[in-house]
Amino acid sequence: MKITALLVLKCHPIPDGSDPVILANATDVNHFGYFQRVTVKQFIVFVGRTVAKRTPPNQRHTVQHEEYKVHSYNRNGLCVVGFMDDHYPVRSAFSVLNQVIDEYQKKHGESWKTIQADTTSQWPYLNDALTKFQDPAEADKLLKIQRELDETKIILHKTIDSVLERGEKLDSLVEKSSDLSAASQMFYKQAKKSNQCCTIL
Amino acid sequence: MMNVKSGQGSSYRERTQEFSSIAERLRKSFPSLNAGVSANNVGVGVGAVAKRTSVFDDPTVEIQELTAVIKQDITALNAAVVDLQLVCNSQNGSESISSDTTTHSTTVVDNLKNRLMGATKEFKEVLTMRTENLKVHESRRQLFSTSASKEPANPFARQHPLANRSTANASTSPPPWVKNSSSSSPLFPRKQADGESQPLIQQQQQMVPLQDSYMQSRAEALHNVESTIHELGNIFTQLATMVSQQGELAIRIDENMEDTLANVEGAQGQLMRYLNGISSNRWLMIKIFFVLIAFLMIFLFFVA
Repeated sequence: MKITALLVLKCHPIPDGSDPVILANATDVNHFGYFQRVTVKQFIVFVGRTVAKRTPPNQRHTVQHEEYKVHSYNRNGLCVVGFMDDHYPVRSAFSVLNQVIDEYQKKHGESWKTIQADTTSQWPYLNDALTKFQDPAEADKLLKIQRELDETKIILHKTIDSVLERGEKLDSLVEKSSDLSAASQMFYKQAKKSNQCCTIL
Repeated sequence: MMNVKSGQGSSYRERTQEFSSIAERLRKSFPSLNAGVSANNVGVGVGAVAKRTSVFDDPTVEIQELTAVIKQDITALNAAVVDLQLVCNSQNGSESISSDTTTHSTTVVDNLKNRLMGATKEFKEVLTMRTENLKVHESRRQLFSTSASKEPANPFARQHPLANRSTANASTSPPPWVKNSSSSSPLFPRKQADGESQPLIQQQQQMVPLQDSYMQSRAEALHNVESTIHELGNIFTQLATMVSQQGELAIRIDENMEDTLANVEGAQGQLMRYLNGISSNRWLMIKIFFVLIAFLMIFLFFVA
């Protein structure tokens, strides 16, 4: 479950002739060979641009590309694209994109609308996000809650099992204590009997 | 039909007149039955319209209107035929009717009923065909997903005008809560029908068969969470029950132990008394010894 890249682009609304402009870029290509990395990065940029161009405003899309899924979310011209592998749950992917786009808008306000050329500087938040969101539960609170609930359920099942064991042990204790009280009663009677008979002798 | 029932005791002539008036009325409703037949033709028209629907050009509103109209007509005709049959039976119930009239009236009623049944059956077939078409559309829609990359709906896009129909279609596709969110919309391919018919460049990219839209999957996850929490509540309740039952067991054990303690203490007291009795037995032995010596003395006095 891996995120390979996150891109933030600026999409032009209707005249789709022009390519979107890259505003931020974070990639994790360490699992490719050393010589392939540059090519892979360029390819990611290209595919990201194409997908962003094809995403109409205010919509979310998902495209399957070889063994990756490319998710894109276009919000009023600001488009964020993520490259995730097939196992990454789609919903978490879109919540990652949501968070990234919110953070970008908070940080940069409206200044992104004026940018015309690809930005080459890094945005550290994006890199951090890339590493943080490798685990989909981080991004998607629902997933986190579901996971915790499942763990709690397992723990509760174990608790119930141990309570059942405790019940069995208590049962055996009840039996033993009732046997003990019967035995002590017999003991008492015997003592009384042997006390009564032999006073003379 | 109430006036018919009140005319039970009328004469034969009046009966014939009644029947002829009703037949007149029904003949007038024959045009309406013809209208029903033409409604049937309209139903056939609906069938033709339903047949030619594609993913985009879905005249749902027209189909629904036509369906409603046809249904009303069919119910009205059904009621009329039932009334006619009642009249026929009431007329057959009276004595002064010739067999010819009886057979004639029953034949007319049967004929009308058969025609109405045929029309209803055809209407049902049209409706089933429409539902099958809807299913096919659904499956086709899910096959080709949303992104702009591939345009398998291109042939449809070229056939029909796109923009208006897409909104009509979006309204038919259910989730109403989607409309609340302005920033996201259902991932259906119909919004592709905005004139963007360029084929995508890379041939490698394929459509993901998205089973649910984003919102639907979120709703499903929320449902799951809710049911999990519900189950957890249940488990806690069961746990509480079991623990309370076991608490009762603990009380019983406690009582048993107290009984045992009392018994053992009593037994210990008895044994202490016994021990005292045994340990103080020497005093009795001395007494017995004195008694023996007294006997010996007496014995010695007797012998010596």
